[in-house]
Amino acid sequence: MKLNYTGQEKVTADPQKVWSFILDPNKVASCLPDTQDIVIKDDRNFDAVVGVAVGPVRGKFKFAIQLVPDQANNKMAVKLRGGGLGTAIDLTASANINGQPDQTTLLDWQGEANVSGPAATVGGRVLDAQAQKLISSVFENMGKKISEGA
Amino acid sequence: MAIESPNLEPKGIQGLGKAIKRKEDSRFIVGKGNYLDDINLPGMMHMALVHSPYAHAKINGIDSSEALKVPGVKAVITSKELAGAGLAWVPTLAGDKQMVLADGKVLYQWQEVAAVFADTRQAAADGAAAVQVDYEPLQAVVDPYKATDADAPVLREDIKDKMEGAHGPRRHNNHIWTWDVGSKDETDQALASSEIRVKQHMVYPRSHPAPLEPCGCIGDMSKATGRLTVYMTSQAPHAIRTVLSLVTGIPENNIRVISPDIGGGFGNKVPVYPGYVCAIVGSIVLGVPVKWVETRTENLTTTGFARDFHMDIEIGATKEGKVTAMKVYTLADHGAFDAAADPSKYPAGLFSICTGSYDFPKAYAEVDAVYTNKAPGGVAYRCSFRVTEASYLIERSMDVLAHELKMDPAELRIKNFIQPAQFPYPSALGWTYDSGDYEKTLKVALDKLGYEELRKEQAEKRAKGELMGIGISTFTEIVGAGPSKDFDILGLKMFDGAEIRVHPSGSAIVRAGTRHQGQGHETTWAQIVSEELGLDVDKIIVEEGDTDTAPYGLGTYASRSTPVAGGAMALGARRIREKAKKIAAHLLEVGEADVEWADKKFSVKGVPGKSVTMSQVAFAAYTNLPQGMEPGLETTYYYDPPNLTFPNGAYVCVVDVDKGTGEVKVRRFVAIDDCGTIINPMIVEGQVHGGLTEGFAMAFMQEIAFDAEGNNLSSNFTDYLLPTSLETPKWETGHTVTPSPHHPIGAKGVGESPTVGSPAAFVNAVVDALAHLGVRHLDMPVTREKVWKVLRGAGIDAF
Repeated sequence: MKLNYTGQEKVTADPQKVWSFILDPNKVASCLPDTQDIVIKDDRNFDAVVGVAVGPVRGKFKFAIQLVPDQANNKMAVKLRGGGLGTAIDLTASANINGQPDQTTLLDWQGEANVSGPAATVGGRVLDAQAQKLISSVFENMGKKISEGA
Repeated sequence: MAIESPNLEPKGIQGLGKAIKRKEDSRFIVGKGNYLDDINLPGMMHMALVHSPYAHAKINGIDSSEALKVPGVKAVITSKELAGAGLAWVPTLAGDKQMVLADGKVLYQWQEVAAVFADTRQAAADGAAAVQVDYEPLQAVVDPYKATDADAPVLREDIKDKMEGAHGPRRHNNHIWTWDVGSKDETDQALASSEIRVKQHMVYPRSHPAPLEPCGCIGDMSKATGRLTVYMTSQAPHAIRTVLSLVTGIPENNIRVISPDIGGGFGNKVPVYPGYVCAIVGSIVLGVPVKWVETRTENLTTTGFARDFHMDIEIGATKEGKVTAMKVYTLADHGAFDAAADPSKYPAGLFSICTGSYDFPKAYAEVDAVYTNKAPGGVAYRCSFRVTEASYLIERSMDVLAHELKMDPAELRIKNFIQPAQFPYPSALGWTYDSGDYEKTLKVALDKLGYEELRKEQAEKRAKGELMGIGISTFTEIVGAGPSKDFDILGLKMFDGAEIRVHPSGSAIVRAGTRHQGQGHETTWAQIVSEELGLDVDKIIVEEGDTDTAPYGLGTYASRSTPVAGGAMALGARRIREKAKKIAAHLLEVGEADVEWADKKFSVKGVPGKSVTMSQVAFAAYTNLPQGMEPGLETTYYYDPPNLTFPNGAYVCVVDVDKGTGEVKVRRFVAIDDCGTIINPMIVEGQVHGGLTEGFAMAFMQEIAFDAEGNNLSSNFTDYLLPTSLETPKWETGHTVTPSPHHPIGAKGVGESPTVGSPAAFVNAVVDALAHLGVRHLDMPVTREKVWKVLRGAGIDAF
């Protein structure tokens, strides 16, 4: 099941601060909702165990997450692959990092997910809304934490 | 003291035509049925399966280490372990082979990848969740029309470039077979010279039998005796025993298959599933009984689906509405393996009944089957092999033709019916119809409905902008497979056996090779024997489902029990009666030629009052035999039917459509069936009610749907809907009786007629309600959303 989402997050910090945040896997990991375990592997890769609830599919999902920065083009991508309880999720979230004249930054983001297994079948009717909420909350958390100078 | 004959006067001979209560129901009503999951054996372990989330993926590795750490988990097997036993792949009933557990790749979502064995069902499920599988997703083929594109990925790498299949040449790696029947050239010529030609594309969507009891199995290999006992939810236990022997190498005498009470089958419990094989292998390896019972989702996503026929039809006719020819092309989506349960010679089943009840001079039908990344199957869901698809096609198409001709659909049908004098009727596609009086049956239905008045009401309502429709389906089935010259599955001829043993005190035990799943055999077989032998129906017990005791038979599916096993039952009883007549002559002290069987007893011709009952004869068979006669009163009869039977019916449906919401309400549904001789009218009515309800579900509610990546979107009962009493319409049933001339008691079978005949009546009614808006066809399921879109598209004001 292929899902696509877009959104925008205004961050009250300049692009430099944004970059320093999103290049730190510890900080990116802290933006994931309901994390139960984080293992940082190197400065671009970490594993996360996340609590997921999609309709009747509820439990721990394990993801391998990779940060793919493209600073020259002001772009950042996060690739997430994994799953749990028979469900497989492949998700790429990318954002254009646009500095604004007022020293703020706009994150124009888009998410593309491919979901297979019970979350797509048993949870199919609620998956779309749940996935959108999940991705939105990651960027919201990110915006909030950067704005707060975390 | 010598045993004396008890009071042997029969109290309750309840033979054919008697609406007696079902003998089996008392134990079900008090909760004393014995279903597979009720069986628990000492030391039994439980099995759970690991399923693929992907519809098409390469497997790079399977890691069971975490699963084996789960408390209670004892073992995990994959295809590698099965290969060691020669069971990585097993033959399907359709001449293909299928993976038991994924071998290097998965070909459909939810495919079985590994089996986990544990002390409890919960531990097995936890273990299955802990198995780590490294998948590499591949492009999935979901649309059957794209399966044979030049750039379509090869699904079945095991048969890549092997272009000769079980049913002839393959023209693409994802092509399975092409099957055709009839004369293409003559049909093309007849169409070319027809005054009227109509074409229609229609899809009979993938559906699922969804029995309330899912599939399950207990493998019990005794290391002490070397004997394998398999408890299995099987509609065909004897065939299963033979297949198990052939694939495992265990001698057939060392295999006992017990099919306990079954909570609905509808064709879903005919094939051999990976779970069965794994539970048996688990028992052999672990030395203890192993139980596997499916979840609802496993049942809906992995076991035998039905239909998935994508059909194009062209019909030719004169301006007056006399049909001249029919040409059909069908694309059949078989999923990842060809696991359809059809007789060997008929890969598209009996789809060639698609000329229906009509006298088509010329016809041609062609079917292509393809592989896709979906679960395998193609079972006969409450129908004789592919007959539902055929009946829906012709009955929907007759309405399309009526629409084109601006003719009343009842009038068009009557104009084209095969006439009573034409029977036995040779159809253009090669069948010999046994009997029927189609016009009479339709007229009974139309009269019961008040058809003319309803047509007037429809015209008045339409003038006021209200939507009402009437749909007719006058179907003919083909059931009772079948005669051994043409019908076999895996080489096993499709006869069936009956064993009748009459005890000294005038009671009897009857066993059959069939296995009922709600059809009422424990009552109807007893009624046939009661009719033929004059025994009290309450003194006849019926047993089925244990291969150690019941005679061989191909099982219960495709409406074959009454046409085949019912024949064996009647002829077996008559064979007993022949011997009984000799004993009666001995008791009556007359020559056999002076004895006649009349009024359910043996009498001396011309001497009223001098008679003996079958019970008295039975006692004598063990106590007072003629000199030299073999004692006892029993027989086993195997019946090989000379032809199939052709039940038919006329169904008429009236619907009201809400122009605001698109909701369709079935106002009335009249079902007049002609199933030949009726054994038990109450059981027939129950069968018709159940079948109509399933047909209603298919027409309005059900589809096994997939997204573009092959995710199954109908994996549970919130997405794959079953009708409850709230949605189900009231059924008005009735009968005409045209006995089958070749069946021993004239019966044709009825269990599947309503599922076969009703979907077209429902859809025809909805299309009829919308016809003036330019609607000629709607594919099932006809949901509110679909109708709502039609109404809004036609600019109909919701209020």
